Order: sequence, then structure tokens, then C-alpha cells
Amino acid sequence: MIDLVLPGLVVFLLLNLGAGLWRVQRGPTAADRMLSALLFGTTTVAVLLVMAEWMGEPALRNVALLFVMLASVISLAFVGLPREDEES
Amino acid sequence: MSLAVDLLIAAALIGLAVQVVVGGVLFRAIVLFIVFGLTMALAWARLAAPDLAMAEAAIGAGLTGALMLVAYRRLIEINPDKPARTERRRSVLALPVAILASALVAMIGLAAIGLEPAPGFAGRAVMDELDQTGLGNPITGVLLVFRNLDTLLEIAVLLAAFAAARAVTVPGASPLPLSNRSQSPLVGALLAIIVPMTVLVAAHLLRAGGHAPGGAFQAGAVLAASGVLLALTGKLVPSAETGLLLRLGLLAGLVGFSLVGLIVTGFGLPLLAMPGIWAIYAIETAMMLSIAVALLLLFTGSAGLRRGAD
Amino acid sequence: MSPREWLSLVLLIAGAGFYLAGTMGMLRFPDVFCRLHALTKADNLGLLLICSGLAVLAASWQTTALLGIIWLLGLIAASVSAHLIARHALREQQSTRSQSTNIR
Repeated sequence: MIDLVLPGLVVFLLLNLGAGLWRVQRGPTAADRMLSALLFGTTTVAVLLVMAEWMGEPALRNVALLFVMLASVISLAFVGLPREDEES
Repeated sequence: MSLAVDLLIAAALIGLAVQVVVGGVLFRAIVLFIVFGLTMALAWARLAAPDLAMAEAAIGAGLTGALMLVAYRRLIEINPDKPARTERRRSVLALPVAILASALVAMIGLAAIGLEPAPGFAGRAVMDELDQTGLGNPITGVLLVFRNLDTLLEIAVLLAAFAAARAVTVPGASPLPLSNRSQSPLVGALLAIIVPMTVLVAAHLLRAGGHAPGGAFQAGAVLAASGVLLALTGKLVPSAETGLLLRLGLLAGLVGFSLVGLIVTGFGLPLLAMPGIWAIYAIETAMMLSIAVALLLLFTGSAGLRRGAD
Repeated sequence: MSPREWLSLVLLIAGAGFYLAGTMGMLRFPDVFCRLHALTKADNLGLLLICSGLAVLAASWQTTALLGIIWLLGLIAASVSAHLIARHALREQQSTRSQSTNIR
């Protein structure tokens, strides 16, 4: 039963990601787009952790660790951007 | 259910790739490219290739995303009047070419599905002889024992890339700053946690590389990413001179690997043979340092780095 | 199914629920500051619940510790990123208002 739940959870989280893509398309501001990138980051981490359990591949937890550790690099690079009026 | 996962990841990859190329808004394309990197890591994870997923995580999250955002900033600074929107130019040939290319890929994929590896297949040979090397991870075995000349040349290529990047920058020009002035007190606290953590994780990946997924490239990319973090927050500032430590770091991999590879010939071993597991770890450490320094300097686009003002 | 698996199942499904809530907020909330709340809070709780569910399932102290570190790092990254992005968005909004040229 739990072997069915884990891939089901992965599918559910991936669908969540797909829904989040709408916000990247829509914007309207750069901050909105950056936020969706953050959402993708946390969801990818969850997907990797579930996959590690499901596929019996413990090294995938290290991949998730790398993603959470380096998630702040992109936001720091983003706030270095000058303020500008983004189009919608 | 696992088929649904694979189909979703594949569809997302193709959709994202198309949107990155076709989409008109530059900033959106950058964010979509970052998301593409995340999805690519998931694809490697599904293909049971955690080594590649790790490399994708370290490079995608730590280096290329930040590189594109910084490049975007420079682009706005150069011409602030021009909106960051590229006009769409569609060729009539685009669709037929896309269809033909997909058909080609599908044909190659279909042909490869039923393929059985031949008895003398290199992958099998590696798995059979892995025990003699003392390593548990076949990838590290291939990189440092079975195809060591390729790895040596890859390190040389990285050095050449740094030299090429230096060659195309204007000599004497002051390097552009990477960080903005106004900073939050939270950033210092973040650095105090993340930077020591990256060093620990890099050491862990390097050590794990002997028996589990990991190794010099992943560890070096993680170290480079922590350097990027320091450069973005102004703790490291680009400078026009390459310091002695950075020079040593750049050369450590190539020189260390070549030296060990040459010295062993004096003891009757073939060129570039590994005298033991200690030599593999020593060379991996030197390569990790070279990879980290080269990637970081390629990111900052400067000859060297010095400590920031504060 | 053993009680351990039931517990993990409940935690995982609760985590998925918080992820769904986060995505809904991201899509439906009116402006960038509201969306920030939906995202960082709901998603981190979701990550905590999923990590706990997986830790119960894995039943190994080493894995549990790694999952705990991942969650803590995620929390730190999300809070700092959210703060930085919110500040950036606020200043952008203020500069747009003072110029009062851009009407959305």
C-alpha cells in the first residue's frame, strides 16, 4: 500500500509544480516570478526525498540537501538586481 | 504510477525548454531556465543517476541561475531604456525542423530500448574489475582508474577555459561589482550557517565519492557555489590580480594528477596508474580545489578575488 | 499495514495538503506580499510533515537526522529569501508610486 502512496505523492507534487508554472507565466512582477522559483525549489526537495524512499536510492537525499543549501544563492542574486518596472 | 511520474517529468522538460526559447520576456525565460534545471535533476534522479542529479543541483542552483541573473542585471545597466523583451521571429522552417528532430530522437530511442550490451561491453568490464581498485563507486573508478587520461584532460580544459575567459576581457579594466550596497542583517546570519555547511558537505561528498555517489566535481561545484554566495554578498570582491593562493588552487588538480601519474612510472607502474586508494583521494582533493577556483573565477569574470571591505 | 505505515501515511497526506494549500495561495492571492506568506509558511510546514512521514517510514536515526537538517536548511533559506524578495518588491513598488508614471 505504502509503495503505491509514494509514487502517488510524487505525481501529486509534480502536478502542484505544473500549477505553479502559471504564476511564472503570468507574473506580473519579477518578484512574483522569483517566488514561483522558490516554490519549485521546496517542492523539488520534497519530490527528491520521497523518490529516495520510493526508489531505495539514499543518495537522492544528498541531492535534496544540495538544493536546500544552495536555494538562497538565487534569491541573493535576484535582490542584487536594480529595481525596474516589469511589464505584465 | 511510475509511468505517470516519468511522463510528467518528460512533458515538463519539453514544455519548459520550448518556453525558455520561444517566450518573449527575458526575465521569465531566466526563471523558467532555473525551473528547467530543477526538473532535469528530477529526471536524473528517476534515471537512477544521483551523481548527475548532484552535479545538476550544485551547478544549476549554485552557479548558472545566479550567473544569468547577474548577466541580466548588467544588460539592464548597459541600456536601461530598452525593455528586456525580445521580439518574436518565427521561421517557416521552425515547425518542420522540430518535427523531424523529434522523429529522429524517437527513432534512436526506440532502437536503443531493446538493445542488450555485448559481452565485452566496457561497462561490464568496469563492474567486474572494480574490486581491484578498492573503490565502491564505479563512476569514480572510471574517472580515475579506467579512463584517467580523459579526466586529466578535462581538468586541463577547465584551466584553458579560465585562460580563454581572461583573454576576452579587456586588460586593465576594473572588474564590475557583483553585490548591491543595501544589505539586510539576515544575510550575515545566513552566510554564517550556509558557508561552513558547504565546506562540510563538500568534504562529505569527496569522501563519499569513493564508495557512493559524489566525488571531486560535485564537491568542487558546491565549494564554488559558496564562493558565489560570498561574492554576491560583497564578502569577496573581484580584483584584477590573481593571488598566489588562487594560482596554486587553479593548478593543483592538473599538476598534482600529472606528478603522481609520472612518479609511478619510476616504480614500474604504467603512466597515470593509481598506486593506491590514498592517491585517488589526494588527486580528488586537488581536483576539487581546482574545479572550485576555476568555476568561481569564471563566475566573477575576473582575474582574482580579494576580501571585501567589511 | 503496520501502525508505523499508517502514521507515515497520515503525515505524508497532511504534508501534501499543505503543499496544495501553498500552491493555491500562490495562484489565488491578490498581491505579491500575500503570495509570499502562502508560499513560505505552508510549504515549509508541508516539507516538515513530509520529512516526518519519511523519517517514520525509514526508521533510521541517520536518515532522520539528515531529513531534519534538510528541513532546517529549507526553513532558513525560505525565511531569508522571503524577506529579501519582499523588501525588493516593496522598494520597487515605492519607487513606482513616487514616479507615478506606471499605471497597471
